[in-house]
Amino acid sequence: MKDKYDGPILEIDNLSISFFTRLREIPAVMDFSVKVMPGEAVGLVGESGCGKSTVALGVMQDLGVNGRIVGGTIRFKGRDLSEMSADELRRVRGSEIAMIYQEPMASLNPAMRVGKQLMEVPKIHRGVSDKEAYARALQVVTDVKLPDPERILQAYPHQLSGGQQQRIVIAMALMAEPSLLILDEPTTALDVTVEAAVVDLVKELGQKYGTSMLFISHNLGLVLETCDRICVMYSGEAVERGSIADVFDEMQHPYTQALFRSIPLPGADKAARPLRAIPGNFPLPHERPPGCNFGPRCDYFVEGLCDEREIPMFDVKGSDRHTTRCLRFEEIDWHAPLSGVEARDKTEPGKVILRMEELKKYYEVAANALFGRSGETRVVKANETLSFEARESETLAIVGESGCGKSTFAKVLMGLETATEGKIILDNREIQDTSIEDRGAKTVSEIQMVFQNPFDTLNPSMTVGAQIMRALEIFGIGDTVAERRERMLSLLDLVKLPREFADRMPRQLSGGQKQRVGIARAFAGDARIVVADEPVSALDVSVQAAVTDLLMEIQREHKTTLLFISHDLSIVRYLSDRVMVMYLGHVVELGTTEQVFAPPYHPYTEALLSAVPIADTRVAKEHIVLEGDVPSAMNPPPGCPFQTRCRWKSKVPGNLCETEVPPMRQMQDGHQVKCHLSEEEFRGMTPVIRIAAE
Amino acid sequence: MDPLSWAEIITRVLTQFLPVWVSIAIVFAVSITWKRKLGLYGKMFDSPIGMIGFALVLFWVFTGIFGAMDLIVTHDSLGQSAFMKNEVPGTPLRGGDESAYPYYLLGGDNLGRDVFSRMVDGAWVVVQIAPLATLFAFMVGITLGLPAGYFGGRLDTVLSFLANLILAFPVILLFYLLVTPEIVETGIPSYMATVLFVFPIVFLAVLLNSRYHTRPKLRTPLLVLVLGLTGWLYLSLISQAGTGVEVLPQALDLFDVPGGILVVFVAVVFVNSPTVFRIVRGLAMDIKTRDYVAAAQTRGEGRWYIMLWEILPNARGPLIVDFCLRIGYTTILLGTLGFFGLGLPPESPDWGTTINDGRRLLQIYLHPALVPAVALLSLVLGLNLLADGLREESLRD
Repeated sequence: MKDKYDGPILEIDNLSISFFTRLREIPAVMDFSVKVMPGEAVGLVGESGCGKSTVALGVMQDLGVNGRIVGGTIRFKGRDLSEMSADELRRVRGSEIAMIYQEPMASLNPAMRVGKQLMEVPKIHRGVSDKEAYARALQVVTDVKLPDPERILQAYPHQLSGGQQQRIVIAMALMAEPSLLILDEPTTALDVTVEAAVVDLVKELGQKYGTSMLFISHNLGLVLETCDRICVMYSGEAVERGSIADVFDEMQHPYTQALFRSIPLPGADKAARPLRAIPGNFPLPHERPPGCNFGPRCDYFVEGLCDEREIPMFDVKGSDRHTTRCLRFEEIDWHAPLSGVEARDKTEPGKVILRMEELKKYYEVAANALFGRSGETRVVKANETLSFEARESETLAIVGESGCGKSTFAKVLMGLETATEGKIILDNREIQDTSIEDRGAKTVSEIQMVFQNPFDTLNPSMTVGAQIMRALEIFGIGDTVAERRERMLSLLDLVKLPREFADRMPRQLSGGQKQRVGIARAFAGDARIVVADEPVSALDVSVQAAVTDLLMEIQREHKTTLLFISHDLSIVRYLSDRVMVMYLGHVVELGTTEQVFAPPYHPYTEALLSAVPIADTRVAKEHIVLEGDVPSAMNPPPGCPFQTRCRWKSKVPGNLCETEVPPMRQMQDGHQVKCHLSEEEFRGMTPVIRIAAE
Repeated sequence: MDPLSWAEIITRVLTQFLPVWVSIAIVFAVSITWKRKLGLYGKMFDSPIGMIGFALVLFWVFTGIFGAMDLIVTHDSLGQSAFMKNEVPGTPLRGGDESAYPYYLLGGDNLGRDVFSRMVDGAWVVVQIAPLATLFAFMVGITLGLPAGYFGGRLDTVLSFLANLILAFPVILLFYLLVTPEIVETGIPSYMATVLFVFPIVFLAVLLNSRYHTRPKLRTPLLVLVLGLTGWLYLSLISQAGTGVEVLPQALDLFDVPGGILVVFVAVVFVNSPTVFRIVRGLAMDIKTRDYVAAAQTRGEGRWYIMLWEILPNARGPLIVDFCLRIGYTTILLGTLGFFGLGLPPESPDWGTTINDGRRLLQIYLHPALVPAVALLSLVLGLNLLADGLREESLRD
């Protein structure tokens, strides 16, 4: 079956794919070409809606009823996929081309044991015996580094964690030893440290099996870590293609440059390297401009040249297969420093507004709601002894992975839950036991929240204006409808949205615009404390920068205290004054941004820093991969919460880590670390992220 | 006069329905012209299935309305003629007066009543009761389902248990019990009406209060007006001389619903609302996890505002589809009730009763039972197709 073939594994030539709706034809991919050589990993990068997933589906010949390839060819090992019969395609899929999707749970059959699902692959494609298939499954599961492979094979998918599920999906893809592996955002649904481990695995397996890979991602850092070559897509077209080094360091397309300028790097903060958002919006597929698609948002746009005709790909001289879709790439000075962005002064934090003292939140989980008294109740310790202060116009970042208790903390602060123990003091008032119904409109409007998912943050059946006006009504602002309307319009101005948006429905807005409305709503009652729960993580890179900047600008003007919940350390480094790292309900490290991002670290912070993919070729990172997953909050390990994954554990004498929760250690200048490690060990720590000298 | 041939019968029937055709044509023409601006309703006109269903439903709705306006019926649906017993379709009228329509278009039944006219009048019974009863069932289901889904916990357990209890009870037996004269005399159905019909008022009151409580100047007059009006309607509806519930003086009683109809109404609402309750509960449990609900909570909105203004409008898609389907079930329920002679008066031209009347001589004369059966079938089919079309179109874009 696996014949020797040494040409390109995948060769896509001038591919065009369109979707046909009842109104019109929507071109999703236009004139797209890419070549994947044996053993090569090619990254496909672009914002959502740029057509990168459509390319993958095109390769799999699985475009659904509405999609059709309208031009170009896709050759797999020299054979045109579109000329294959359904039968031949079935043989190729899963055996020669395998695909890994974003959501692991959706790729596994929930009613079938993992082992059986894995064994199906060789049984179908090669007709091997049960025994042989089992042996292979066992080996692959061992290869993807899952502990206790026999037990895993007997498990059902829901009994595994998200990271383990994704490893099973990878194992399944590798069962047939495919020549091409397509990974469509394989780690987006996972936590950072788990993501790092999975990416590591994919890289290693790619080398071991010699598999070619097409790696689809919106994360430039991930692509840098996993791929040899990169193809940047914008609005259905490939705009730049080349080796990682060429594209990252010698970019030749304005979009690629703008993309890099809009992402924060963990080596820099807002004063040193301000972000620059890409102006304007992503064009809708049926409203693409003439000529260069990026033209209207491009700094180097020349009228009469860039919008005249279709632009082909040009070869960049003196490089290896580096091409760009820009007419002016030879005229542009790519090394010109960034202009038009003024570095802003840091605002000085004012007086303390909010203080947490030994805050605890436990949940009791009963086995059964109606007859629960007989069963044992288990206690989930969602928050353990949280203590910190937040000052006026300060940004405090709360960092941690899912299940670390940051959302619970937000709930308690907002008053949706009341604290089990401890105090929350807002301007000398204790509010930990006052639920939101009992708080006055003023207190409620002072603490507001910006939510994570832009597609979920607005009520889909109410106009934007009505939603903001409702918030004003509830906060008791304005006496008449006209007054409130005026105030609502000025709030739209504040978040830089046109006033016409007041009468639009949320579905007519893009993700970034919705998030702006969410911000306007949070600031409707002049909030003094805003909890931003991953406000930009669901947005596209170019939009992230704009929304982040907006949030900071409003903060500066209103002297708001911003509690910024995030798992993205790059953005945390960029905008926060102080950082609090949480793990399984505990605060493990607290300090100013500089303190937290430099040694000495808490072992968990160190691993987090190492896990962040950084889109900068100059950065060298220390490689720390955490074993296993975050333990369940229902069943936390005894002693230090991090002891099950900590690589420093052996440096602590005795079994201190397993028996005792470490005390909060005061380092210098208010830097606190919850760890048993000795002073010498702390002093011996080296920085995780180093920028190579230029 | 000679009996009509089949071609003549069909032509005459079609002519008789002329106002219905005109109305359907107008509705379709208007809707298709503006379909892009009409939201989900407009989208339905992209689905042939949905359009066929909608046409069938419209046909019976207009037939019912125009029938009640005496535009379509050819004879009095209760008038008997000794000469016309069990006559086949197209038989000329004998012994009637000169001005009467000269034929029994679809024949006569065992008492010599015009089958065609009874069918048309039967549509009016359905059009009057089915949508309204379904609407009431929805109000009850929504008012109980939203808090059950939103709060969860013990409230949910208790309410769901009650709903399951009602659903587990055999429907036909329940109907028999509710309409048995002995039971009606005890006043149980009237008391049930008293309870069930409160729900729409509660629903409206909570709906408006939660939305406008921040603007008392608007809220108070609005509530007084709406509650006064619905309260009066409610009292007129439940107040019934001679039953257990007689609260309103005769002079203020706006209308009297025939006792049988009220019982039918209660029965239909009672058996339909648990299912609606479960659907709404499920939707509420899903939607309450959305961020916009959390946003409403964090700005201190009341619980009922969140349930009625944040959750309910976003559950409307599945509810609209279910509403169409449920009108169909209600129509079948009405047919069943009529068939067993429960609730509705024995002379009533509703389809269930007519089918039952025709059933006795089914082997000799098919038409008295067949005509209402086809009518019932086509209306329910139309509603199901309409629901299918709506569901399909609501998922596409």
